[in-house]
Amino acid sequence: MAVDPREVPTPASVSDESPAGLKGFFAGARSIATGLGITGRIAFGKPITIRYPTERSVLSPRWRGALRLRGVLGKDEVKLVRTVAPEYNRALQELYEADRLPPCVGNCPANVDARGQNYLIADDRVAEAYELVRDRNILPGVLGRICHHPCETACRRNFYDEALAIRPLHRFASEEYRKVRAERVSPLPRTQNKSVAIVGAGPSGLAAAYDLLKYGYRVVMYEGEDKPGGALYKGIPTYRLPRDVLEEEVGDIIGLGLQLHTGQHVGRDVELSALISENDAVLLSVGLQESRFVPVPGVDAEGVVGALEFLRAVNFTGEGGVEGKRVLVIGGGNVAVDVARSALRVGASSVALACLESDQEMPCHPWEIAEAVDEGVVPMCSLGPEEVLVEDGHVVGMRMRSCLSVFDENGRFAPKYGDETTDLPVDVIVFAVGQGSKVTDLVSGTEVALSERGQLVVDRTTFTTSVEGVFACGEVVTGPGSAIGAIATGHEAATSIHRYLQGASLTEDRAARPAPAYPNYPPVDLEGIESNRLRAVIEMVSPDERVKDFRPIEAGLTRDGAMDEAMRCLRCQSEVCVGCTFCARTCPDYAIQVERVDEPGARCVTRYDLDLSKCCFCGLCAEQCPTNALMHTGQYEMSFFERDLTHFDKGEMLRSADGTRATGRDGIAPPACPSATRREEP
Amino acid sequence: MPHDLTVNIGPSHPSTHGVCNLLVELDGEVIVSAEPRIGNLHRGIEKIAENRTYMQVIPLTDRLDYVGSMYSNWAYCRAVEQLAGIAVPERAEYIRVMMCELQRIGSHMMALGPAGSDAGATSVYMYTFAQRDLVLDLFEAVCGARLTYNYVRPGGVSLDLPDGWVEQCRAFISQLPGAMLELDRLLFGNVIARARMKGIGVLSREDAIACGTSGPVARGSGVDFDLRRDDPFSVYPRLEFSVPLGDNGDCYDRARVHLFECIESCKIIAQALDQIEPGPVRNDDVPRLIAPPAGDTYAHVESARGSLGVYLVSDGSVRPYRMKVRSPAFSNLSVLPLLAKGHLLSDLVIILGSLDPVFGEVDR
Amino acid sequence: MTLLLGMGWGALGVLVIAVGAIFGVWWERKVSARIQMRLGPQQIGPAGSLQMIADVPKLLFREDIIPARADRTLFKLAPLIVFAPIAIAMVVIPFTSGWAPMDMSVGVLFFLAVPSIESIALLISAWASHNTLSTLGGLRGAAQLISYEVPRSLSVLPLVLLAGSLRPLDIAQRWEWWWFPLTLVAFVVFFIASLAEMNRGPFDMPEDESELVAGYFADYSGMRWAIFMMAEYGAMIVASLFAATTFLGGGWPLSGAAGTVLMVVKAVALVTVIMWVKWTLPRVRPDQLMSFCWKILTPLALIQLVVVGVVLIWL
Repeated sequence: MAVDPREVPTPASVSDESPAGLKGFFAGARSIATGLGITGRIAFGKPITIRYPTERSVLSPRWRGALRLRGVLGKDEVKLVRTVAPEYNRALQELYEADRLPPCVGNCPANVDARGQNYLIADDRVAEAYELVRDRNILPGVLGRICHHPCETACRRNFYDEALAIRPLHRFASEEYRKVRAERVSPLPRTQNKSVAIVGAGPSGLAAAYDLLKYGYRVVMYEGEDKPGGALYKGIPTYRLPRDVLEEEVGDIIGLGLQLHTGQHVGRDVELSALISENDAVLLSVGLQESRFVPVPGVDAEGVVGALEFLRAVNFTGEGGVEGKRVLVIGGGNVAVDVARSALRVGASSVALACLESDQEMPCHPWEIAEAVDEGVVPMCSLGPEEVLVEDGHVVGMRMRSCLSVFDENGRFAPKYGDETTDLPVDVIVFAVGQGSKVTDLVSGTEVALSERGQLVVDRTTFTTSVEGVFACGEVVTGPGSAIGAIATGHEAATSIHRYLQGASLTEDRAARPAPAYPNYPPVDLEGIESNRLRAVIEMVSPDERVKDFRPIEAGLTRDGAMDEAMRCLRCQSEVCVGCTFCARTCPDYAIQVERVDEPGARCVTRYDLDLSKCCFCGLCAEQCPTNALMHTGQYEMSFFERDLTHFDKGEMLRSADGTRATGRDGIAPPACPSATRREEP
Repeated sequence: MPHDLTVNIGPSHPSTHGVCNLLVELDGEVIVSAEPRIGNLHRGIEKIAENRTYMQVIPLTDRLDYVGSMYSNWAYCRAVEQLAGIAVPERAEYIRVMMCELQRIGSHMMALGPAGSDAGATSVYMYTFAQRDLVLDLFEAVCGARLTYNYVRPGGVSLDLPDGWVEQCRAFISQLPGAMLELDRLLFGNVIARARMKGIGVLSREDAIACGTSGPVARGSGVDFDLRRDDPFSVYPRLEFSVPLGDNGDCYDRARVHLFECIESCKIIAQALDQIEPGPVRNDDVPRLIAPPAGDTYAHVESARGSLGVYLVSDGSVRPYRMKVRSPAFSNLSVLPLLAKGHLLSDLVIILGSLDPVFGEVDR
Repeated sequence: MTLLLGMGWGALGVLVIAVGAIFGVWWERKVSARIQMRLGPQQIGPAGSLQMIADVPKLLFREDIIPARADRTLFKLAPLIVFAPIAIAMVVIPFTSGWAPMDMSVGVLFFLAVPSIESIALLISAWASHNTLSTLGGLRGAAQLISYEVPRSLSVLPLVLLAGSLRPLDIAQRWEWWWFPLTLVAFVVFFIASLAEMNRGPFDMPEDESELVAGYFADYSGMRWAIFMMAEYGAMIVASLFAATTFLGGGWPLSGAAGTVLMVVKAVALVTVIMWVKWTLPRVRPDQLMSFCWKILTPLALIQLVVVGVVLIWL
């Protein structure tokens, strides 16, 4: 009987006039016969109803029936994302496909288990939390201060109230870890008879070293500076990152068995070819050494400096030669902001920051530029450098041309300039428009291939260079990026080295880092939200105070503050109810009541009641549930219940998904909560 | 002056299509006057909506026209989208159109079946319900509910189509026209049904317009008006369909318009299934707590009963300041006293049935 | 003596109709279910055949509600009157070619006349209920029953002419196969008029559920309601049996016990057709019903009578 509906004509008028007289009589008789024929045929057809008790009706997988909880706080543990590194990507991919990967973990380049960290901190297992974070983010204390926290950007609390303070919690964990560091850091056993040399002690090299030490290799690291840390040591101003934190955490890795040779510049003090012959594998993680300049007239005049050189001078000597001078920073990235803020601290009389992009498009993080503006940096957007005005070989000003747009419609960098020009009287111009790598010296005497532009030729997925056994990772491969992004490449390179040293294929059966897509919800209006649901306020030194010197500007979380903050975590996709009450809040019929005890170490959902006599099965609650703990089942049939059993308590909500119906209140006791007392301070 | 007999039809009566009370004055069996007394199903939905967030109102709209929750959801969500300036992905629009047309079929089955069963042909009701059940199976697969869908959301729909849905839907729309034409022979060709429906409850074209009727009631009277074509919204302009019309405006024409609209809906769905492309089904930029800027808006869709409109006023908060539903069933029901006068009591249920009122929407 | 015997057979008729109604209800539920693409009763007994065994106790234990403003005496009386004529009419039906429970010389007349008492029962129940809808149903029913007496009686006359006797036994014994094509129109008229007589669809407006809820017995509950239902099924069975013996030749072509079985099978087939028609066709309106009766059925029956009369002359 299948017909294409498009072939069925529609009559011009539906009023179908009947014939009159005898003709009408016979047409009527025939219509009755036709009707009897149709019903008769249908009577011998297949019935569409089912034989109910023997044939069960089949519900669709999306059936919106009675609710149940998969797990509940106080009874079920949150599963930590803690798999051995070579299998990490695969484990993440599987979690993502099973809809169990939280957005914070998915959005982090290194996939740090932030959810597990928050769970362990809230459970008062801070040292474990630190070690869990360190597995992926090898410098939790450092990144806890400087990271651009993509995890917080993705945090699902963004659209409920405010993102969780994941980065300050890293920092809190590292500060707590100080108390137990001595007893918890010991050299890892060396189980492999092979050694790896790593060139450069930046974050990516350290990440690779950490992984390789865990696999049991001997790891030797060469650093040209006198202290490890790479860009973290040379580039990050100390008001953001106190150097003792960096030293401590690198010290931990040394404590795990890393052999670090500082002051050994490979290519000058040590030959790379020697490293290749002495070791089974070599990893180049040298980072970027060169500041880039915009080729405008007068760029070689005195008073024009590069960002890296400027920051290095400020960090090492405490002065940048700009006391009382007017400084112009060219560039709109995070480095430019660092330069501008450092320049203020070393005594510049005024600091302006000029960039091509409009104030909406600036590539630096919005909070960075906001803090800089607070301190007195003047942002000048949509301006491109035209010419350095030079007098007697000295910089006296900068001619800027207005910029109309930076990117073309394909999103490529193709600035369009206007006719308007401005002359800015300045004494010092710092170019912070990017950095480049300088590896010609490094690879001389080896067969490591370079591209025409002097870049290392590196495979972006396996991080191999043209020479077998020589790998590269970090910004030297990816270009300027974030610290956590560099760390992520370190982990990948370590996986490659491990596979190479074990004789396994580098690509076969290797899972790429999953690229999860999470909906990007704009933050909601905070008005009317209880203050205890908001993000912990991080103390900052006032702008007037902080421009005076290089002391850290941001305070850490207090112990109580950190506990409360960790308890705000919704534990997304963990399938364990945290009693966030969003289901109860979203319920249009007030059918759900949730109560919980929120004490560190003794958190528990004490009550979860669902009144099915109020429930309209709209499904908004399960749609809201951030943990996926609340789910629909097809288990509820009113006829199987006594009428007073329309009230599911916590025990009933935790019933099994097996079987075809809920069994009433027989035999399911609500799980007990641990005693709700706050643990003593250790 | 003959003695009048006053009969209460309903509110608890087999063929009032819900809970309507008809106060009928009879002279013998001839109706002197028939007055619908509505309000038995009044739940104050428009008032309740003022105390709920924009998202929480959607389950309420499910209960406006409970045989057509999909387009009730849609009308409301269109109003919210206009108010808050929310864009809707194209795939979501196609899904909405398909859902609305499937819902139209499902709802028309609830008009055609009673057109038979009011006249005593009970089996017709079962045949149309079998078709409606297939529609509900499609809805259940897509959103997990069979009556109150809560599926359309501001900025899209809540879930994408599940695997195998398109095939299931194609199978449905390819068998429906055949079943409808058979139903046409069984019911609308039947001599008794024609005798019962033809010339009964004639609504003139002028009265149809004057009383504000819309949908199949107006089209049965020859009013060539269909919002899908005359005030194009969503992706309807890309879809080809015709609008069946009646000549006489009697019960027969009103009922049979439903039948051909079902076939037209099949054509729309077939085209939509051909045109739909993968993509997002929900605008991710819509916050969970919508607070549209202060202002008001009116959005309407062509529901199975006619022009279903939602007037929303926002004061900038997260809850609507006022929601008013322009219910087509209410306007259509208003012509009942006009149509019923002078006919027999037996004709009254057929006239009421041909107006296809849903009292959830009439009373709100 | 004849009276006593009649009462005895009458009582037996009540039993047969009660059992027949139980079967009839199950069969109707099955037939209507299949027409509506359903399965019908299936839980109790094979294919749900014992469903009524479960239903009868339920009906017996139902609360017996008498509306406060009803005429109690008449209200209680009506179910008895509606049931009795059906059972009594049964006694003249010849079950085999040589035997009927009561061999009456005016059996055909008896069969046509006695069920007409039902119209009084309809009026009583409608009036006693003190309910506008019931009253309308009762009035419609009375008008309908009386009107359809005419074509129904006229449609049997051709057979009486052919058989030359008003005795049903004589009709059954003298039946020849060519009677059937000759009296086909009469059979159709009898069938349609019987549908109206027993208030079956498409002529069920006295109990029209879509407008009058249940018409004249809307206020009855429990066993009293069941008796109305039994009367309806009884009328259906009795009319089918009568049509099977007279118009369809009873056990023809078989005889004896096999003939009786075949006659019952024919009757069951007729019952099934009655159900089939009811579940297919819409209901006609009261005024259309009347004009159909007087303008179409009665003339048809008269024409048939004339045709048979003309044929008789040649015989």
